[in-house]
Amino acid sequence: MIVIENLKHVYPGGRRQPARTAIHDLSLSVPAGAFCILSGPNGSGKSTLFRILCGLARPSAGRVAIAGHDMASAADEARRVMGVVFQSPAVDKHLAVRENLELHAALYGIRGAELRDRMAEALGWSDLKDRLNDKVETLSGGLARQVELAKCLLTRPQVLLLDEPTTGLDPASRRSFLTVLKRVQKSRGMTVLMTSHVFSEAEDADSVAIMRDGRLLAYDSPAALRARIGQEVLVIQARDAAVLKVGLAATLGLPVARYGDELRVEDLPPAEVPRIVERALTTHRDEILSIAVKQPTLEDVFIHITGKSPAEAQAAGRVEEGALA
Amino acid sequence: MIRFAAALARREFVRFIRQPQRVAGSIGQPLLFWAFLGAGLTPSFQPPGMEGMTYTEYFYPGVLMMLILFAGIFSTITVIEDRDQGFLQGVLVAPVPRLAIVLGKVGGGTLIALFQAMILLVAAPFMGMLPGLGGSLMVLAALVLSALGFTGLGFSIAWTMKSTAGFHAIMMVFLFPLWLLSGALFPMENVPTWLHWVMLVNPVAHALTVLRGPFYEAPAVLLADGGYLTSVAVLVAWVALSLWASTKRVNRREQGLTGPAADAAAAPAGPA
Repeated sequence: MIVIENLKHVYPGGRRQPARTAIHDLSLSVPAGAFCILSGPNGSGKSTLFRILCGLARPSAGRVAIAGHDMASAADEARRVMGVVFQSPAVDKHLAVRENLELHAALYGIRGAELRDRMAEALGWSDLKDRLNDKVETLSGGLARQVELAKCLLTRPQVLLLDEPTTGLDPASRRSFLTVLKRVQKSRGMTVLMTSHVFSEAEDADSVAIMRDGRLLAYDSPAALRARIGQEVLVIQARDAAVLKVGLAATLGLPVARYGDELRVEDLPPAEVPRIVERALTTHRDEILSIAVKQPTLEDVFIHITGKSPAEAQAAGRVEEGALA
Repeated sequence: MIRFAAALARREFVRFIRQPQRVAGSIGQPLLFWAFLGAGLTPSFQPPGMEGMTYTEYFYPGVLMMLILFAGIFSTITVIEDRDQGFLQGVLVAPVPRLAIVLGKVGGGTLIALFQAMILLVAAPFMGMLPGLGGSLMVLAALVLSALGFTGLGFSIAWTMKSTAGFHAIMMVFLFPLWLLSGALFPMENVPTWLHWVMLVNPVAHALTVLRGPFYEAPAVLLADGGYLTSVAVLVAWVALSLWASTKRVNRREQGLTGPAADAAAAPAGPA
């Protein structure tokens, strides 16, 4: 399991910039065997939290424990039971798949017959069987990611941390990566914490944590999170969102939230949905570009909680990670 | 510990061997330097006490040292590439002693340097520089220690650097001058006093003394020579210091600000 207690991280400032707090008093506990997705918009502190979790950075205050091992006082024990898949590749692309796996195993002291068993096990679930002797640089993006995952699973970690592992993969590769990950996670009872911007990935996670500005805003099962914004949501693309927001609120007598060019009415009373849509359309026909009623997805929950559209969060997220790396 | 380091060192060497242009480049440049400078300077090279020695011969240990310098530099450039986004991230989160990470990288660089030096050592007998078994072992030891020193020094500098561009600057104004002022290109005798002092505190100058010795003197004579032993001590100290500094660097994890300053930074950040 993963325990984060009252974690705080302040980046020391330079001559021109003041010190900046990336994480404010954050506590979070992922139970053993759970699959948790960590999400959040630009500057939410995800990357910082990830670096602290895998022991690359020491927090200003608070503690982190991986499978019961404190990251500050027992880092070596924690490292032994932990696997980390980074967003940027951590395999040597000049080496063959087999060489990469063997080198990683050597760092964890796995050799001989044990190594052979583990390799066979790793190849059982991956598509790497026929590519063992190929250099990683000749593999497709999806396969290269599989090498990364295979490498980490070779050491049979109790806790697996992944930082946006599917970034840059096409939808098919992304799906197959996650299918493999989930299957292995279930069969081994592994605790997984994965940062992600892709909400379809979070739908069948055990829990989803949403961060913003260094704080944990929500941490719950996907179903419970969806229930927060009711059964149905009205989503309207407006010609002028600011003007329509006021008009619509008056027409409907319901709270209207605005996210960029988009207006949302959450937690619709189920029986009145048709009437609400009709009233919105008859009164504001010309101001509405599109209108939709939908069951909330995690993406809608994310917008509700963080007040940011995922497109914004995603675009900004790239920049943030680049800057923090 | 040794096993971890060996696995990492092996990776360095395999990568090197698989890039023929890197092999050719790192041997080719010193060879060209040696051939051109040797041919050009031999007619006018007449240092006191070394009558009869051609510049080609004088410069030979310096070229060996240059090979080692370059091998060290190249292998530490990969530290910068690997550290923030790449292979070394995965190594840093593995349960590996931090000294083993340093030894793996530095050991790999040393292996590469030795491999190149061996090729050049073939030329020694043709110049009449033929040390006996003991002398050869001393040459080898000098090469190993120098390679460890250069690679370790490069590693400790490279670890904190964000870009390879910055490292190139350090290399040109710091590492390369260490070699220039080591006695590789010209003897230490009769240089201006300030230069003499610079050369005296330059560990590479001492490494070169240690390397040059066995080509001309019997091991027994060298080991009884106080000056030579001092140079050996400086060389060993250089290696130990650079390995220690490198390990310290790797050990240091990025630390969040603590204490009152951190509280002050957190205060104006808005409502909780």
